[in-house]
Order: sequence, then C-alpha cells, then structure tokens
Amino acid sequence: MSRARTALRRGGAAPLFEERFLEAFSNADGPSGWEAPVRAKVVEAVRDAVDSLEVDAMGSLVARIAPAGGRARRGPHVMLCAHMDEVGFMVTAVEKDGRLRIRKVGGIDPRILMGQVFRVGTKGIRGVAGVLPAHLLSNNDMSKVVPIEELFLDIGASSRNEALQAVSLGDLVAFDTTYESWGSVRKGKAFDDRVGCAVLASLVQKRPPVPVTAVWAVQEEIGLRGAAAAARRVSPDLAIVLEGTASGEAPGASEGESQPRMGGGPTITIQDRSLMADARLTELLQKTAKARKIPTQWKRPGVGGTDAGRIALSGAGVPAAVVSVACRYIHAPAAYLDIRDPRRVVELVWHTLEALGKEWA
Amino acid sequence: MTPKARRATRANPLDALLNSLVPAYGPPGRETGVRAALRGALRGMGPVSEDALGNLHLHRPGRGPRLLLVAAMDAPGVIVTRLESNGTARIDLLGGRSAAELIGAMVVFPDGGRALVAYDRPSNGKDAAGPEAGTLYLVTGLDKNAAAKRFPVGSVGMAESRLDRLGDQWRSPSLDNRAGAAAVVAALERTPKSAYDLHVVFAAQSELGSRGALTGAFGVDPELAIVVELAHVGDGKDQSSVTLGEGPCVGLKEHGYIAHPRGLDLARKAAKAARVPIQYLVRDEGSTDAGAVRRSGAGVPTVLIAIPARKTGGPDSLVHARDLERTVDLVARLLVTPPAPEPTPRKRTPRRGGAR
Repeated sequence: MSRARTALRRGGAAPLFEERFLEAFSNADGPSGWEAPVRAKVVEAVRDAVDSLEVDAMGSLVARIAPAGGRARRGPHVMLCAHMDEVGFMVTAVEKDGRLRIRKVGGIDPRILMGQVFRVGTKGIRGVAGVLPAHLLSNNDMSKVVPIEELFLDIGASSRNEALQAVSLGDLVAFDTTYESWGSVRKGKAFDDRVGCAVLASLVQKRPPVPVTAVWAVQEEIGLRGAAAAARRVSPDLAIVLEGTASGEAPGASEGESQPRMGGGPTITIQDRSLMADARLTELLQKTAKARKIPTQWKRPGVGGTDAGRIALSGAGVPAAVVSVACRYIHAPAAYLDIRDPRRVVELVWHTLEALGKEWA
Repeated sequence: MTPKARRATRANPLDALLNSLVPAYGPPGRETGVRAALRGALRGMGPVSEDALGNLHLHRPGRGPRLLLVAAMDAPGVIVTRLESNGTARIDLLGGRSAAELIGAMVVFPDGGRALVAYDRPSNGKDAAGPEAGTLYLVTGLDKNAAAKRFPVGSVGMAESRLDRLGDQWRSPSLDNRAGAAAVVAALERTPKSAYDLHVVFAAQSELGSRGALTGAFGVDPELAIVVELAHVGDGKDQSSVTLGEGPCVGLKEHGYIAHPRGLDLARKAAKAARVPIQYLVRDEGSTDAGAVRRSGAGVPTVLIAIPARKTGGPDSLVHARDLERTVDLVARLLVTPPAPEPTPRKRTPRRGGAR
C-alpha cells in the first residue's frame, strides 16, 4: 500500500450518523423563508457540541467548531453546508367560501398535488388540496393536470372570516408527512435537504480534524440565497455541501441509465447547472472513499443546482464539492432513502476532512 | 523549436501564440492544457498564480491605478452523462453553443481520447427548431466496456481545434476566446512598462456564465478593467453593422453590460493614438465577461474590447487576421495610456484572499 493510501486510512473513527436528528428535522416544517421550526431542532441537536452558534441576517444557522487538539488554527478552514428549507406553498388569497389559494415556493410538479393533505402555518392547520367530485368533471377534465393557480386548499372553513381565524395570507404550507422506517428504508418529507442537515449535525458531534464552520442555510430552493450570503461572511478555504438529491432510478430502464441509486452509497457531483465541482476536491473524496472501502456513485452531470455553485463564486472563489444522499421522490409528499447512505456520507466527509493537508489552507 | 519555427515566431509572434493556444485542451473547469500553454507564454513577465476557480493570474507591479486585464481562456466543452449499451456516450453541453453547431465535431479528451459528436436526425422533420443537447451522443468506436473505461461518466471533452488560415481569416472552434487571450499576451510582450499596477486574469469557466471573471475580479479589486473577448456578429442578433476586417469593437452595450463613460473615453483616446480604426458593439443578446467584471465587488469601470467574429453554423469561428493585429495594437496602447483623473477619487485598499 502506498504511503498516500496509508495516510488516507489513518485517523480516528468518524462520528456516528444520528438517525434521531433526521427524524426530528424531517418532521419539522420549513418551506423557504420560514425555516425557524427546523432551525430550532438543529439548535437543539448541536448546541452542546459546537464552540459558537449564531443566526445570520438571512436566517441561516452558523456554527463554528475548532479542531481537536487545542485552539490553534490548523489546516484549512472548511465550510460544511446543508440547507434547512424545503419546497412548499404560500397562501396567497382566501376565497369567500373559505377555500385557500396557494402558490409554489420552490420547484414542485403539479401532477402530485391533487388530494394531498398539507399543514398550513405555524399552527399546522390541516388542509386538503380539494378535488371536484367525479360527476362534476367532463371526461376531458379527468385526464388533465390542474395547474397550481386553479388548485385550492380546503381547511374545512365555511367562510373567509372563519378561515382567517386559523390562517393568514402569507402562511407557508408543507406536506403533512410523518417519518417512518422499515428495514433500511426511511420515509419522510423534505429529505432534500433534511438528510444533509442531519449529516452535518452528526458530523459536528465530534471535534473535527480541521477548523469547521457548519452552515445550515435558508432559501436554497428559491435561488441558493442563504448559502451565498453565508459564504461571503465565512470566507472558507474550501466547502463541501451535503445534499439530498434525486435518485435516477427508472423502472424498466437499464442499470446504466438508473443512476444514482438509493442505497448505492454517497453520490458525488462532477458538474451541475450551478457548479463545476473542484476537480482536486472531488478526487480527494474519491480516493478517501476507495481507501475506506465506501461505495460511491456519480450524480448525473448537467442536472440540478446546489448551494455549492454560489459558495464557489463567493469572494475570490472557493473550491467546492457536493456529496449527496440519493433519495427517491424528492420535492414530493414523501421521499425514501436508505439509512446506510447518510451513515456512509458522514464517514466519507469525516475522513476527507482528515485527509486535507496544508496545501488547502 | 526548429529554426524554421523560430523564424516564423520572430516574423509574427501573434501567429506563434495562436498556434500554441488554439489547440490547447481547456473546456470550462478543465483548463489544464491552455493554462500550461499560457504559463509558458508568460514566462519572465512576472509572478503567475492559479486561484480556486482555475483562473491564471499574472501581476506586473507598477505605479499607477490598479488595472485588471481579462481574457477568458476556456472553450465550449461537452461532458459525458451516460454510457449506452452500444458503446456510445450521451453528453451534455458545457457552454454557450447550440447543439446543432456541434454535430460532426471531433471531440478530444485530456488523455488523448477522441470521439465524434453524432445525432440521429428524425426523418419527419420534427427537429425544425434544431436538436436538443440531450439528443447528441458521442460515437466512440468502442464496445460498451471499453467505452465506459475510456470515457467514464463525467469525462469532459472539447471540440478538436486546429488553427487554420482561410484567406485573410483565421478559422478554428476555440478562437473564442483563445484569439482574445493571444491578443492579450501579445500586447503584454509589446509593453514591458505600463501606466498601471497591472493584473492580468486569464479567466476560467467563462462559458458557464463568466464564473472565473467574477471571482478573479473580486480578488484583484481593480480601479479599472479591460476585457478582451470575441463577439460573434452578423448572426442577426446584433443591431450594429459590425464588419469583419474593419477593426476591433469597443463594447457599448450587450446583455448585462453597458460601457462606462470614462472607460469609453480611454478606449477612444488609445485607439486614436494607436491609429486603430474601431467599430462599436451594440447587442441585446450575447455577452462576454465584461458584465461580470463590471458588477464585481463594489463595481468596476470596465472597457470591453471585442474582436469581431463570425459563426459558421458548425463548431468553427472565423476571425479576420487584421482585426486581431489591431486588437493587439489597441490593447498595447491602452496599457500605456494613463486614465483621466477620477472626478471623485475612491480610497481603496486591495482585498484579502485574491489569487493564491
């Protein structure tokens, strides 16, 4: 074994992935701009583990944690980032008969909304995306997808006044989904990116080998906003973004086309709409994975965009990479993930931090 | 270098620069070959460094205001997204080229791999709007296993770029913006002493939305900037009547950019002094790195010098040799033309965290 390879295998054990964080974060609601309930859960999870904790002007949670072995700043300053927000809706109007009109917050496929149950506002008032009874629909309408502007949320109110006692204009709306598990599969909402939030909260439970600033960012789904602002302040030497990404599994398609797969290990980005991942950093992740026998897979190039794109372009530029958990059915009421994947992401990122040398500082 | 090549270099340094820069590998985010070629060309001119985005940065300290000279160095590329069972590879485009322009192009990879961009044209004429990127694929000439080994997902290639002379014009896929980079190096060679504290950034990832120029400019925090880049004209998108061979363009307006009055004055003054005829670039669509530099940090007065170029409908661009020579004349003159005093001088100190 080469010396470089040996160096990659040295170092302490990675912290464990804490599934209770994933459950708590997934069950909390936080459509973009309204991340406070999620932030509260993250604060609870990491408060005792980090050296400082603050909420920035955008609402992102920023935690600093000095490396093990004293306060002396050693090695490169790493920004680890996951976003707290999820896609959802906003209440835009209340009809005379008490039905709520909504608009999208983030990217959602309108085909998946009819008949779904939602939670509205801080009180979590339940609402159903109402469906007209079949006998009032023409055959033509039956096969059509209702655009979101024509959709209404029914919270059981019979007048505008009654509705406005329970909800307000501008209230945010989240899918009404509860975390569950069977075998290695976990079901929940907003795994994009609560799984990243949970990976990050797990990582900071142990003093890292290099100085780390952990950012739980806001407003990713509506334009990568929180991380852009945070990166300008943190001004790191490099950044790793932790994500929940769409699995590419397509029933009936060949294995080559169905990439990445849930349960296939950490998914590494080479390129997406927002980022050319730093080639050296991506290579280091790959090498670390190989040395630690962690299976990895590639995110399909050219698809999607993450906070890493904005972080990379902040200031005079920051080397950035993305490590994701491949989830089925993201941006939908209930997503699936394989619990072995976030465990491996924690290991991979931890050991990559260990492998960062002075050349990165 | 053979004696013949050396004679040719002495005869026209610009030709030699083009010959070394044009074929160099360097799609967005993978500018390894062109960076090495530029390092060679800049030897002895001052300290050269590379930053986080892959920009190549040269500093020529001097008295006078901090000037940033920018030329993008990447060229449009393709990235392998998926291997098919028949040994072909699906690709996505890196950079602003339409899919149709790439059909039939030979694509080269850093390890010497080559593959051909192909497209299955529907016989029913359903692609009147032109093919989408997702319908292009690479013919590798290999079976699936060999192709997966040679062109794994994430491999980045660029259109094979030979430099060719057609009458008075240069022809090659990577002239955008290797011609601009060559003009900048030639201008630097000609002006060892400038009127400025000069920073030169050969920008990476320009094709992906001026990413390198944005961070490069932030790191330098200049008081004035000059961007040298190709502008494709005559394709119906520009309202100007720019003609190839009639001299370099000074940018007035394009998508995301509008000229700075003092910068414009400076460009006119330098052009007059250098006896370079200039044209003006006005267009709604199409952009260069000038917009990103103009907006970086607290904002930078930016001059855009655009070399007029023509597209061919295929991977090639055409540039008139005389325009290129005059661009060198103009940029060289700009470097020794001191700026008019600022109406309200700004007090600024260089920012931390620039090129490393």
